[in-house]
Amino acid sequence: MDLDEDDFVFFGTPIEREEEITSRKKKAVAEASGQLRTLPVWKQEVTDEEGRRRFHGAFTGGFSAGYYNTVGSKEGWTPQKFVSSRKNRAEVKQQSILNFLDEDERADLEGQSLGTSMQFDTFGFTAAELARKQAEKEQQQRPSAIPGPVPDELVLPATESIGVKLLLKMGWRHGHSIKDSRPSSLYDARREARKAFLAFSSDDAKAQLAESESVQGNLESITEQPTNDDVQSHQNTPVYVRNPKQDLHGLGFDPYKHAPEFREKKRSRMSGKRETGNRKADSAKDNLFGFKSGNVAPGFGIGALEEFDAEDEDVYAAGFDFVDTYVQEVEEPSKLMTDSKPKLLAKETGVLPGFRVASNSDYQLERFDPPVIPKDFVPCHKFPGPLETNYRLADPPPPEVPPPEDNNLKLLIEGVATLVARCGKLYEDLSKEKNQSNPLFNFLTGGNGHDYYTRKLWEEQQKRTDQSRQQVDVKQSSSMRKMTAESRGKILGERPLERSIKDLSSSVASAEGIQLQFNLSDTFTEPASSSGLHEAVKPFKDDPAKQERFERFLKEKYQGGLRSTDSSGSSNMSEASRARERLDFEAAAEAIQKGQWGKESKHFSATGGMQFTSGGVEQAKGTEAEDLITKKMFPKREEYQWRPAPVLCKRFDLIDPYMGKPAPAPRMRSKIDTLIFTSDSAKETKVEETIIANRDFSMLQSDVQGISQDVAIKENEVEVEVENVERPVDLYKAIFSDDSDDEGETTSLNKVENPEKKIEAATTTLNRLIAGDFLESLGKELGLEVPPDLPQSTNMAKTPASQKEAANTNVGDSNILPVKNNPSSTVFSETLNHEVPHNRKIAIESRSDKNEVIHGKLAKSVGIYMETGSTENNLDKVDLEKRVHEDSKAKTPSSRRKNWNSNSSSEDERSRKQSKRHRHRSGDSDSDSSSDHRDRYRSRSKGRKKESSREKSGSSRRHSKHHKHRSRDSPGRSRNDSDREHREAKREKRRKRD
Amino acid sequence: MSELEVPGKEANVLKGHEGAVLAARFNSDGNYCLSCGKDRTIRLWNPHRGIHIKTYKSHAREVRDVHVTPDNSKLCSCGGDRQIFYWDVSTGRVIRKFRGHDGEVNAVKFNEYSSVVVSAGYDQSLRAWDCRSHSTEPIQVIDSFSDSVMSVCLTKSEIIGGSVDGTVRTFDIRIGREISDDLGQPVNCISMSNDGNCILASCLDSTLRLLDRTSGELLQEYKGHTCKSYKLDCCLTNTDAHVTGGSEDGFIYFWDLVDASVVSSFRAHSSVVTSVSYHPKDSCMITASVDGTIRVWKT
Repeated sequence: MDLDEDDFVFFGTPIEREEEITSRKKKAVAEASGQLRTLPVWKQEVTDEEGRRRFHGAFTGGFSAGYYNTVGSKEGWTPQKFVSSRKNRAEVKQQSILNFLDEDERADLEGQSLGTSMQFDTFGFTAAELARKQAEKEQQQRPSAIPGPVPDELVLPATESIGVKLLLKMGWRHGHSIKDSRPSSLYDARREARKAFLAFSSDDAKAQLAESESVQGNLESITEQPTNDDVQSHQNTPVYVRNPKQDLHGLGFDPYKHAPEFREKKRSRMSGKRETGNRKADSAKDNLFGFKSGNVAPGFGIGALEEFDAEDEDVYAAGFDFVDTYVQEVEEPSKLMTDSKPKLLAKETGVLPGFRVASNSDYQLERFDPPVIPKDFVPCHKFPGPLETNYRLADPPPPEVPPPEDNNLKLLIEGVATLVARCGKLYEDLSKEKNQSNPLFNFLTGGNGHDYYTRKLWEEQQKRTDQSRQQVDVKQSSSMRKMTAESRGKILGERPLERSIKDLSSSVASAEGIQLQFNLSDTFTEPASSSGLHEAVKPFKDDPAKQERFERFLKEKYQGGLRSTDSSGSSNMSEASRARERLDFEAAAEAIQKGQWGKESKHFSATGGMQFTSGGVEQAKGTEAEDLITKKMFPKREEYQWRPAPVLCKRFDLIDPYMGKPAPAPRMRSKIDTLIFTSDSAKETKVEETIIANRDFSMLQSDVQGISQDVAIKENEVEVEVENVERPVDLYKAIFSDDSDDEGETTSLNKVENPEKKIEAATTTLNRLIAGDFLESLGKELGLEVPPDLPQSTNMAKTPASQKEAANTNVGDSNILPVKNNPSSTVFSETLNHEVPHNRKIAIESRSDKNEVIHGKLAKSVGIYMETGSTENNLDKVDLEKRVHEDSKAKTPSSRRKNWNSNSSSEDERSRKQSKRHRHRSGDSDSDSSSDHRDRYRSRSKGRKKESSREKSGSSRRHSKHHKHRSRDSPGRSRNDSDREHREAKREKRRKRD
Repeated sequence: MSELEVPGKEANVLKGHEGAVLAARFNSDGNYCLSCGKDRTIRLWNPHRGIHIKTYKSHAREVRDVHVTPDNSKLCSCGGDRQIFYWDVSTGRVIRKFRGHDGEVNAVKFNEYSSVVVSAGYDQSLRAWDCRSHSTEPIQVIDSFSDSVMSVCLTKSEIIGGSVDGTVRTFDIRIGREISDDLGQPVNCISMSNDGNCILASCLDSTLRLLDRTSGELLQEYKGHTCKSYKLDCCLTNTDAHVTGGSEDGFIYFWDLVDASVVSSFRAHSSVVTSVSYHPKDSCMITASVDGTIRVWKT
């Protein structure tokens, strides 16, 4: 048992068994017999009579120590029982104090213990008690700092032990060394007699005055001799006299502990004060008599009342100090209370010895002059404008900065600036708050594009104020008076020439030379939209109203974001149609621009004009049909793979449809893919379908799609290890459609695509139209009134629709091999997937850097297909992007890509959280990867409801947006962590599977 | 004629909830009803006699939905405390607590055999919980929704969920397919027609939409009421002749199922009508409101 206890720590009382007890008893007996006595001390154990261990450590004993160390009974303190009946009455027990005493106490009480008697108890309680009583007695006569009887608790007089008393009786006095320093016996005798007398009269250091008086009388005759020797012997045992505490400091606190010089100073100051104020203290300081009469020296009896001579005075020098401090301390509180004002003065005059007042101090109270009020300031606030925008007028215009390279961002900034100018600062605050986490809105808080934003905002405000000024009447004439040339020019529609020139010179580094050039060229054109350039180009000739709007649009566009808010002509149009028209204008404008730069405007006006008009007509038709389309769009039915849990099937009493099939549920894994590679939660249908096919194929099941799959496989035969992943045909078309320089493989296929194109066009336009009014919806969401003509001013699509059309017709998607025309079931072979990319990618990449237009086209066409091909576009898009990157950057083996694809078709369901995280990260990485491609809608931090509502309305827009602005970013940049990570994981998985 | 069929007479007012009543549900035979609300209680009533029978307290937050098994022996409830409670009706004890939702749980339903509880949560998921085993882990998590799932319906072989992402998704266990019908508007509440062929979805654009389940076609839209921010219930009458739903202005609307005309509308409550439940057999309806009352309506 002991061994066990050495190794282990036990808690609680062990359950005792019979044999254990007996063995223990045996052990105890053995111990008692002395067998174990031989053990060294630290091994011996104290046990009780039953052999149990008596003492326990805090950790080893604990509870098991039980009551052995406490009351002594198992029950603890038990109340006494009292039973009394008629027959046997309980006798009344007389309780005595002995009942309640411990044994040692009882022994004490019974006088069995020896102790020091009170008298000889030097440090004990009893002596102290006695001394206190005595002190109390003396209290009456003694002068005290505290009026009235001193509370006992505060004053505990020290007792004098019997030894001290004896010494005193022998002639020793406090403060004297114990030695015989008196050769003169006579003197000795005299002294002794006096001392004894005094000692008897009082053992306290401070004797009472009356007594001392009498003593004086008595001893007059004897004390003629100066006590020279006393002086010498005095030093040995110093006498400490307590001063009553009368200051405001805490107990034991000495303010001068570390600065004794201050004590000196203070004393001197106090004495100085006393001279003026306190007569008594003055005398105490100055003449001995005053001292004698006023304050009794602490050491009473040391010839205190004898005649003093020079040495005597010296003797009391120390005592003097004490008294002095004492007095001084007395003074302090009153001084504090009464004259706090002169204190400052005293501080200045009373400088420490060794210090002097500095002639110039470092510390100076800095005072500022009050702000100078301009002479023309009228202390009455006027509100010249309807909004608070006017105050900005006073601000110096922020420097004109080139717009950020990211066109998307630029648009956003412009839009927000317009909104802010229109709706006030509140909007800015709101959107700032709302979009805190959105990197796209960094410009609000001073991030990228902030300068541009401020500039834009200022311009907008300027514009607005100008407008409001135009509306103002006589009231505002005062503000009108101060109109500068610039503002006048603004009203008149002039372009401020000097500023743009200045900017041109200042912002040399700006890459946007084109923009500035435009500004310049615009400066010289009349604002009445009758300029040569724009007059010559009238794409909407047959619709004068539209043409007018277009011109206005052009003007606005090239004036760098200054947009007139009162586009009266279009106010009767619906927002959607306006957005549509706007896109149209954009396209036209771009075409014009192109034509101008290419110096072939003539040619353009001939062809382009027709194009646009036709486009316009189409648009008009579209607007009417638009509502119908939206209606048609919903409800949208999609179907996915979904794998119910076996238990669920069981509980629903159904047969598991996936029973016996491989464990990984394809649906879930593909979902994760989308989550990873799409910035938002777009659903993938087509992928789903293809996946099904894939799976089916792998299981050698023949399906409807299996056939197509077979086709794919046949084409695929070359690469055996590659798993087939079919891509919807339109995706590939989208990717490579605009590669006009492509080697034509199957040109005839073009025709097959054509019917689709119509739908695509429609959906695209719809798309863009929806995308157009993002800011407005944002504004609405923020709960602000947004003027209805907003979307026109906010969003510009970059690529002209016509261009895109052309591109589409161009689309010599020779590389595409549509197995089926039906988009939902079209299957693509992997061979195509990357045979084609290989030669094409390079082209894409090379173009990607310089040729924005084509890229825009590309992106857009992708967007189109995404619309038609329903929802998995995001995935595909990223896929595309990846593809491009991969080839351009690392020349990754195609097999890897393939694996990636194939893996995407068979991975297991993952936990929700993970997928969520993935989604989130993918969102981030997306925004990282391409600055343009940032999603405006991605503001996840917002309320879910809101988001969702936006999401649902904007889900389709989002796609288009993504693609529209993706064009310019460099592929290399978009390689992001999540992608890589994901691929890693994929590879890992594949390896595992293999 | 149709006017007569629609309940419009207040038969009883069930008072007892302190605070908004979030849901009121008839039991399967329509003799009793359950209500739950912001006061964190579930109450069992006899709506026909207007008697409060029992109160079930255990939820830590508001109780958002409650459902009772066909044999009236068990309850399930869910609420803001992210838990699903599985109750014994007679003793009022909680048999099991299902935790796992990462957000508030909006709706809960038993399956036909009362062996599974399916809950719809703010965490964009539907979760199925096993009542038979002692496991408190969900036996199935469906997280293909992209926003809060507001409502759930169960058939013999399907789980149907309506979500704020605008979709009504049908999960067919039998064939292992998910069918998503995107309505384009946040779906507040879905309810099945009694013949099981249609789904009525209440959307946040103040429109009820009737969907054909097999084709996903939009059969009809019912407008007139206000439903913009609250979770408002809607249901079909027992004969499937009318569609009914509450409104945020305290009105109850009855539409003709086929021609979508408002047959009847009257002010039933002083505040938002959060829940409506139609008697399975009779022409009787209960409505619950934010004003803390449950009203029983009969023809």
